[in-house]
Amino acid sequence: MTGSAALPAFANEPTLELRRGPNREALASALAALDRRGPFPVPVLIGGDPGSSSGIDSTDPGAPSHLVATAGVGGEGDVLEAVRGAAAGARAWSQRPAADRAVTLGRAASLLRERRLELAALEVRECAKPWAEADADVCEAIDFLEYYARGAIDLERGRDLLQEPGERNTMRYEPRGVAAVISPWNFPLAIPAGMTAGALAAGNAVVLKPAEQAPGCALRLVEALHEAGVPPAALALLPGYGDTGATLVRSPDVQTIAFTGSGPVGLEILRVAAEVRPGQVHLKRVVAEMGGKNCVIVDADADLDEAVPAIVHSAFGYAGQKCSACSRVLVHEAIAEGFLRRLAGAVEVLVVDQAERFGVGVPPLIEREARDRVDGYASEAGSEGRIAAVGGPLPGEGWFCAPVVVADLPPVSSALREEIFGPLLAVDVVVDVEAACDLVEALPFALTGGLFSRDPRTIARVTARLPVGNLYVNREITGAMVGRQPFGGNRLSGFGLKAGGPDYLLQFAEPRVVAENTMRHGLPLE
Amino acid sequence: MASSSPASIDPARLQSEIFAVGRSITAAQDSHAGGPLRGLDEAAIGLSTRDHELRAALFRLVDVTPACRNLDDLGSHLGSLLEEVQDRPVPLGVATRMAHTKAGRMALGAAVASSVRHLAHRFIAGESPAAALGKLSKLWSTGIGSSVDLLGEATVTGAEADHYAERCEDALGELARGCAAWPERTVLERDSAGAIPRVNLSVKVSALTPLVRPEAPALGRDDAVRRLRPLLRRARELGAHMHVDTESLDSLETTREVVLGLLGEEEFRDGPSAGIVLQAYLRESPAELDRILAWAESSGRRSPLVVRLVKGAYWDHESVEAQQHGWRIPVLTDKAKCDRNFESLTRRLLEARPLVRVAIASHNLRSVSHAIALNRLRGGYDHDLELQVLRGLGDELAWSLADAGFRVRVYSPVGDLVAGMAYLVRRLLENTSNESFLSEQYGGAPLEELLVTP
Repeated sequence: MTGSAALPAFANEPTLELRRGPNREALASALAALDRRGPFPVPVLIGGDPGSSSGIDSTDPGAPSHLVATAGVGGEGDVLEAVRGAAAGARAWSQRPAADRAVTLGRAASLLRERRLELAALEVRECAKPWAEADADVCEAIDFLEYYARGAIDLERGRDLLQEPGERNTMRYEPRGVAAVISPWNFPLAIPAGMTAGALAAGNAVVLKPAEQAPGCALRLVEALHEAGVPPAALALLPGYGDTGATLVRSPDVQTIAFTGSGPVGLEILRVAAEVRPGQVHLKRVVAEMGGKNCVIVDADADLDEAVPAIVHSAFGYAGQKCSACSRVLVHEAIAEGFLRRLAGAVEVLVVDQAERFGVGVPPLIEREARDRVDGYASEAGSEGRIAAVGGPLPGEGWFCAPVVVADLPPVSSALREEIFGPLLAVDVVVDVEAACDLVEALPFALTGGLFSRDPRTIARVTARLPVGNLYVNREITGAMVGRQPFGGNRLSGFGLKAGGPDYLLQFAEPRVVAENTMRHGLPLE
Repeated sequence: MASSSPASIDPARLQSEIFAVGRSITAAQDSHAGGPLRGLDEAAIGLSTRDHELRAALFRLVDVTPACRNLDDLGSHLGSLLEEVQDRPVPLGVATRMAHTKAGRMALGAAVASSVRHLAHRFIAGESPAAALGKLSKLWSTGIGSSVDLLGEATVTGAEADHYAERCEDALGELARGCAAWPERTVLERDSAGAIPRVNLSVKVSALTPLVRPEAPALGRDDAVRRLRPLLRRARELGAHMHVDTESLDSLETTREVVLGLLGEEEFRDGPSAGIVLQAYLRESPAELDRILAWAESSGRRSPLVVRLVKGAYWDHESVEAQQHGWRIPVLTDKAKCDRNFESLTRRLLEARPLVRVAIASHNLRSVSHAIALNRLRGGYDHDLELQVLRGLGDELAWSLADAGFRVRVYSPVGDLVAGMAYLVRRLLENTSNESFLSEQYGGAPLEELLVTP
């Protein structure tokens, strides 16, 4: 991205230096203040008018009896009203020059920046996101707003076309209309902010349906955007469960659906979106970012001093609840034994505790169902293979799962093929890097991947072979940065044009080409 | 101890004293014209090359050597790494072609393995404390003390932390037994504050616990303290000195809390002798010294805390990490500023005696000469100042300082030669790229330039 004349060049929002005591103290007091204020309402918000804020209890995954927010549930009538309002809102918003929209998004970024401590605290409480990751999520939300603001200006310039004598050819990008944004809870601010800002930057109106586990964070995002000057009609908030999202997807007046979440839901959205309903005049475009089965390959020449901590962090950070998380390691047989011993030892010392504790290695999972699902995978894997490490102990309250490393699984094991989305890591031993690449290529997912090798030729070979959307070499495989590592998967993991990258806004735009005959008979050509 | 205020020392007088000291050191240094194999080592391993790409490739080769399974594999890595270098000197071009055949790779692998092992002998005092005793004893007899640093892989598990602690305990015992018969060397064994232990062990907090987390100093502290406490007791029994190294800024608070917390406990009031490290390249180093001195004042320990002043060995790491995160770079990026800070901290440390013992660890001729000159002009004794160098990099400086009657200690890594060498390359050499003592040492700058006021 080249940026624009009006705005300074994009730079990532710096995370807080948590190695500094005063920063840690500031976060801790923001959390105390949040706790003192108590639960807050998250209304259905259409045209700026708050509606119901009851139906969903958003609780602290580490203390499920503790209520963080109560949210409304968008019903069919709400969806209809929100989409109709957004269609009108889209016309007004799209009339604004891109530079104006960019300034507005920049203002929203500034508001998030001012509120970053309380936003991080809210993520800790509502989603059990540990401090470092909560703070990074707030920064990423700011990054998306700033990055797409600049992208809007670039997009407005259109593209250069070939020009022959006697004709004038132009290509420009127009907004598509109403975008439904359906966001997950695991990056409770950044992902809704990214999809929403992308759609808004390109001149669309947005109806945001956040995950029912994180409505509080979504409200704070919407508030900042409204306060910054996004017209209430151009951005509606529809908290709710799956039904609300499904109704939204079916709506004939929704032109674009931006979804990040699980594979089954994404495939259902694709199917439903393909059906044209009465009154519908657009083909719906679906932007879907779904799960992965992300593997890290560890070659015989890997530096285990670096590989072990990086893999532990990739697999167990935020209890493995990231679509980019590592869930499978393919290690060269020559070093497998030592690697597994060190990995197991490193997992055994992880601190399993509440997200608010600095230094926590594994926080609780988001909800009871998630905990039960992961525990199910762990016990199945334990019976099929060998449990190499179990971390703990677990605190008394909260949806905690012990971090687990399992080895010697049969190839048919579901722990080797399915996305688990929890703190369970499977280790496979391979004869060489080629065999590891074969296994990765055989998977239906292709989101992130990792390689630890100290041979430039191996790195080049693996880079050429792996189909993953984001390959990380000699580092952890999570933590993509806006503008630096545009993020998104291939195959069944998604077909988005990389969030935080130069092509992302194209998904929210429709190109229009005009060819004008400039030939005037009897007049000389210039 | 003289107590003249800083202002009372005339800068011109100080500068002329620094020149006098610097000249006497280099004069002594010329009589120790390095080992015969040194030039060969450096050419072989690219330490002295100014080609950054080539040097990086060769460092990476040393780094990966212990992970190579056989000579073929090692030769293959050499070929692969050299392919990344744009302008290869002729012999390396030949090596790249050799790597295309198995026989060629085996030959290259053998050459690399032998070079690395050869080089390792220069930097590493021995595979174990017992094996190193011969070299340490020889140094001692020429008037040079040591601080042993046990090399090893990073600590990522509890078992590795336990193992490191056991190695430290064994080392204390081994060194204490070994040095009992060493001849008396007054300059190494006594200063105005009293006796100085012969055995000196440097330990790393990051090796004593797998739980160093920048955002949670207490977590790593508690786990490290659990393992360091018995070591301190053992050191006290044996009359040994324990020095806790400072690593990257990410572990600074943990390290400080471990050292000052434990040493402040009643049970360690009377010993052992112990020390901490102050890194002059840190912007916050003056405040860090304030903390150390405030602690020293209130601790009531009998044996003064030894403060080793270093420039700092994680320059690249700190700069890169800060830039990737958008943080202010925590180290001084301007060499002159860093050198001036080193001198200002030197002055404060000298003035803080007898609350602390001072060890100046530098290969920079100006920094060392400045410390000696300032100490003398302030009326201090030479033996109330310790000078430290790194084995393999500051040997000549150590010899000449010892000849001149100073107390010199060589920081001496001990451990597996090949793995240890890889470790040293990773943790030390790569981190000293542009500001390196190597470029100073091999730059061939005239003495007047080396001694100029920064």
